[in-house]
Amino acid sequence: MIRSSSSPLPAEVSNVLPESIRVVTGDPLDIVSLLRQAHHPGAGAVVLFSGEVRDSNKGREVAYLEYESHVPLAEKMVHDILDEAREKWGLKAAIAQHRIGKLAIGQSAVVVITAAAHRREAYEANQHIIHRIKHEVPIWKCEYFSDGTHQWGNNCNC
Amino acid sequence: MKIHVYAKLKDYFSPEFELDAVAHNTDELKLRLLEINGEAGQILDSCRFAIEEGFIDHDHKLKENDTVIIIPPSSGG
Repeated sequence: MIRSSSSPLPAEVSNVLPESIRVVTGDPLDIVSLLRQAHHPGAGAVVLFSGEVRDSNKGREVAYLEYESHVPLAEKMVHDILDEAREKWGLKAAIAQHRIGKLAIGQSAVVVITAAAHRREAYEANQHIIHRIKHEVPIWKCEYFSDGTHQWGNNCNC
Repeated sequence: MKIHVYAKLKDYFSPEFELDAVAHNTDELKLRLLEINGEAGQILDSCRFAIEEGFIDHDHKLKENDTVIIIPPSSGG
């Protein structure tokens, strides 16, 4: 996970992240915990996007998904994307975390949180960040269908 | 030279393998890989190449002891 913040934080929010929290993780995403870390006294708007596993794709029943990544490169790229977004939209906080491994229907695969003074910046930055993560960062989705077949994603339906 | 591949490329190559043939840049590396599996041309054309330090261009000079990461189009989210 990445946190980007240039202003003082409220006392209950730590600006120091545990080293074990990573941008790319095999553990289930703790959305509530991530959201808690995005609050900021200068932010009037906090936008949270959660990309979740759907039970069907193009008429085919999905059993589960698996994600894999080249983690060192993915982490560096997500850091850069968040830094650029923070600079461009003046964000008070920018957080992104992506899950890898096997995910069940309904689980969150990726979370992006943006906090800004006003909602327009928070929405725009959030869309920008998730778009770039999906299209640029070396993370890949494989869909496993109920009929026993599987297919690597090609991101054409996003 | 060590090669690491991901995602759909694993339908064509082992996830990690040693390439004995010489490849001075990624264009030559593609040719060497097509000698291993001639059906991988289309997917290789859509891939990016990286070494430990990050992405590389087609004319980047590869070294014998490089580990080259071949990255198909992303599909996260």
